Amino acid sequence: MNQADITKLVSKLRIKVPPTHRRLRNPLGPEGRLNKLRKTVTGLIKYERIELNYNRADEARQYAERLISEAISHGDCHKPTMEIADFWLLEKELVHKLFKVLVPRFENSSSAFTKMYKAPKPAYARAIEKTILELKGNPYPSLTTRQPNNKLLLQNVLLDAAKYDYRQTKYAEIAEKMSTPEETKNPDS
Amino acid sequence: MIPRVCNVLNALKNFEKHVLQMFKYPPREFALAYDYDKPVQKTTKKFSLNDLIGDGFLLAVPKFRRTVEKRWKRKFGSPEYIWKMLVPKTNIIVCNKCGHYHENGRLCGNCYKIVEEETKEIQAKIQEKLGTNKPIENDVIVLYDGDQLPEKPQEFWQGKRVIEMKKERPKWFSKNLLQKTTQAPSDSKDVKPTDLA
Ligand SMILES: [Zn+2]
Repeated sequence: MNQADITKLVSKLRIKVPPTHRRLRNPLGPEGRLNKLRKTVTGLIKYERIELNYNRADEARQYAERLISEAISHGDCHKPTMEIADFWLLEKELVHKLFKVLVPRFENSSSAFTKMYKAPKPAYARAIEKTILELKGNPYPSLTTRQPNNKLLLQNVLLDAAKYDYRQTKYAEIAEKMSTPEETKNPDS
Repeated sequence: MIPRVCNVLNALKNFEKHVLQMFKYPPREFALAYDYDKPVQKTTKKFSLNDLIGDGFLLAVPKFRRTVEKRWKRKFGSPEYIWKMLVPKTNIIVCNKCGHYHENGRLCGNCYKIVEEETKEIQAKIQEKLGTNKPIENDVIVLYDGDQLPEKPQEFWQGKRVIEMKKERPKWFSKNLLQKTTQAPSDSKDVKPTDLA
């Protein structure tokens, strides 16, 4: 079949993309929505970890992923890609960062370039869903560290105390046993 | 609803009675004949609100009874829309790192607060070192006081922006983040128990 590989024409994102875009309400209409998303994408590329509302984060994440994947597949000598980067990154020094820092970082990755976490929310209060959006491979401390054997866990503290008590009683018993036979033996000999 | 309808019906009935009396209805032929003393004319004073309240004033008060359904809806809410009662949460788990409780599928509040503070500090440091309007061409490496540079070839270090934090590395921020593996693979098959107190 002499047919173009369709999957190579459009970059396939590694995140779930909803069928329609969100209508983020804005007094300026669709243009205002895009301006807001541009600000968010710029902030994400600049700071690598930002906290914002769920809807805006999820919407901006798709554009950021697309931007990075375009930059990876076409490189910085491709004019349309350069125009896209110029449109989405409001601070122009970030265009250099996109091609010189982020492209080498994500070139060989097989997963999505960004990660989104749900931010903690107060219990029983009306609060907007907040999320933390970050680029992978950032220099900041990780948000999720797996340390299953933590001594500070309440269960482990209680178990430690129980073990300590048990051992103390055993030691007392042994000490008693050691001391009593000697007393009984001594009079015999 | 019903009290309001009854009210309107009563008013209509009264109106009908008055109108019919104007046209001499019902006819006198059906009337009963009986001996009847003419009552003593009482001098009735006309009703006036002023006698009741005097110098005071009237507040708006409920006119009709609110039904049980409406009262309960106000009090407890509706399960389909807004349910006002406290409902026990079953998705609370213990954080593996610090032992605080948090919702499943969400970050631990205690841990996130610590990480957020450190992140903001590093971000501020990076921005301060970078300055403004300079093209960003290199990746960032964060080093704390007393950190040893991980052993890497010279090419790895070429053109990296090293950000120095002027303080000790926080205990919870692992030093091994810069290395690929935390432990060298070993050949021994003995398993040593850890964290047994
Ligand atoms: Zn925690």
